[in-house]
Amino acid sequence: MTPFMLRRIRNRLSKKLKSINKMSDKQNAQKSAKIAAGAVVCVESEIRGEVTIGARTVVHPKARIIAEAGPIVIGEGNLIEEQALIINSYPENIAPDSEGVEPKTMTIGINNVFEVGCMSQALKIGDNNVIESKADLGRNMILTSGCIIGACCQVNTCEVIPENTVIFGSGCQRRVQTERPQPQTLQLDFLMKILPNYHHMKKTVKTTSAVTPAKN
Amino acid sequence: MASLLQPDRVLYLVHGEKKIRSPLSTLYFCRYCSELRSLECVSHEVDSHYCPSCLENMPSAEAKLKKNRCANCFDCPCCMHTLSTRATNIPAPLPDDPSKTTMKKAYYLACGFCRWTSRDVGMADKSVASGGWQEPDNPHTQRINKLIEYYQQLAQREKLERDRKKLARRRPYMPLAFSQHTIHVVEKYGLGTRLQRQRPGAPITSLAGLSLKEGEDQKEINIEPAQALDEVEPLPEDCYTRPINLPEVTSLRQRLLQPDFQPAGASQLHPKHKHLLIKRSLRCRKCEHNLSKPEFNPTSIKFKIQLVAVSYIPEVRIMSIPNLRFQKECQVLLTLTNPVENITHVTLVGCEEGDPEDINSTAKVMVPTKELVLAGKDAAADYDELAEPQDFQDDPDVVAFRKSNKIGFFIKVVPQREEDGDVTVSFKIRHDFRNLAAPIRPSEEGDAPTEAIWLTHHVELSLGPIIA
Repeated sequence: MTPFMLRRIRNRLSKKLKSINKMSDKQNAQKSAKIAAGAVVCVESEIRGEVTIGARTVVHPKARIIAEAGPIVIGEGNLIEEQALIINSYPENIAPDSEGVEPKTMTIGINNVFEVGCMSQALKIGDNNVIESKADLGRNMILTSGCIIGACCQVNTCEVIPENTVIFGSGCQRRVQTERPQPQTLQLDFLMKILPNYHHMKKTVKTTSAVTPAKN
Repeated sequence: MASLLQPDRVLYLVHGEKKIRSPLSTLYFCRYCSELRSLECVSHEVDSHYCPSCLENMPSAEAKLKKNRCANCFDCPCCMHTLSTRATNIPAPLPDDPSKTTMKKAYYLACGFCRWTSRDVGMADKSVASGGWQEPDNPHTQRINKLIEYYQQLAQREKLERDRKKLARRRPYMPLAFSQHTIHVVEKYGLGTRLQRQRPGAPITSLAGLSLKEGEDQKEINIEPAQALDEVEPLPEDCYTRPINLPEVTSLRQRLLQPDFQPAGASQLHPKHKHLLIKRSLRCRKCEHNLSKPEFNPTSIKFKIQLVAVSYIPEVRIMSIPNLRFQKECQVLLTLTNPVENITHVTLVGCEEGDPEDINSTAKVMVPTKELVLAGKDAAADYDELAEPQDFQDDPDVVAFRKSNKIGFFIKVVPQREEDGDVTVSFKIRHDFRNLAAPIRPSEEGDAPTEAIWLTHHVELSLGPIIA
């Protein structure tokens, strides 16, 4: 075999290897972020790990959804604004690589609003909640439905917030309101029309078939 | 270090009824008396009333009638934020045809901060955007009004008798002794209690108003005295055992902001009209000139008259402090800024032993003995590149730098006390002041248009703790 032929064989083999790697990478990437049809997720948002996003959810650019210590399941009709951070992270006293740590799923219900700059680590969030700008939710919180966490409120307790509770003020005062906050249907419709005009969207996946190579 | 620029580090002493030490930014300068004035040695007068949210001006008489509350704006009873009006569409039957429904707008009040709505207390949605909301009536209003009328009449009568006695005896000057009841009567007819005290020679204007009232027939108002009850309503039986519904309990602040009702439950908290704010003007007590007079328009933050101290008196600021050591000489860098447009000559003098004004200093200070010259403030200096830099012969030991109307100079500080706490030094600053407010004399002499007078101020600096 001449060196010329050897080189040709080597090139062909490397090309094939590259294409195989690409296919498996694409498959892996898709397994990690399942975006249902009808959801509008901008390309500039950062989605890492196993994240499932429901239909009619809008994820603005620069939003970050990071599933480190377990998967995140986000329901329908949610609005996740810029610089919001939804993170399923390891609790502080557990090292990432230690054994015996079961990955816990973070579930987020429907019609929630995560306003600009908020951070949520709560493992269970119900429906129709509003987490206002720069609010900070700890990992051990459980929000039921209709709760409003006010702007800049840091709530880090280990409790279940009852329905229709409003947390506001610098001292995190609480009160109960009589009606739950309205779902932001108008805003969602508007964004679903306007955002694709100015941003590229991440590809959605049909929820029936989990592994399909995308056409990029 | 931004902390060195904190205003309360450099205090100027004000000679008034009380000796007050406060930063120059909070002081006023009466250029007719040529003295510093603080907020406590001026008289405050109400200029105008306005609502802080709708910025609507209100004449004083109307404000008094409405108890100093705005007619359009409401406060959230829960968090005291301003309430905003929101609209919803509700289906409502047409008046002509009850079977068809059409969308009508309904308005309700909502708080953007704590998400309180007027529906929480059971207030029905109104069909007009503004003017439909009423505060609930106080059940005791009638009794209170009657009591007020009765006491006003009593106060008038007492004052008349006292003044009649006074005029009959014709004493030259007697301080008007005010009883508690007469104060509000004087306010109605007079100018305000404090101003009346300051004007010994002025005629008693209050009588002029009273004499008019005498012409009307005075209706005798009788009130029935309050009756004391022997029996008090007993507490409910489950007072101690009933579990408290915490979201329903009102806080003290929420309760006391509604003194009429003081509701204990959050479902009875009704919104109140927003309180008005005032614009006030300040007047020097000695010469009765205005020191500060704001604009009438609530949206404007400018002043018609603004005689603040920082625009007349050179300001001392701390620029940098070295490590202060007990009994060791340290050099502190200070800056002096000249606020006026002409050249100012400043001399610094240390405080002598036994100076009655020097009570706080804990260190000895050596100030530069030479006279410091400050250039005038030139508003166009930033734009005028061809301006010649003025040549001042600066002693480099004394003057660190010079920049337009600012000069940096050194003082030497020897901390005398080793205790915890800040090292405080004080000295006197003497500068020339040209009074532009003085009346222009007819130009017989070829004098300079304004003569300079020399003003002395006592300045105290707080330099921070001793670092061993």
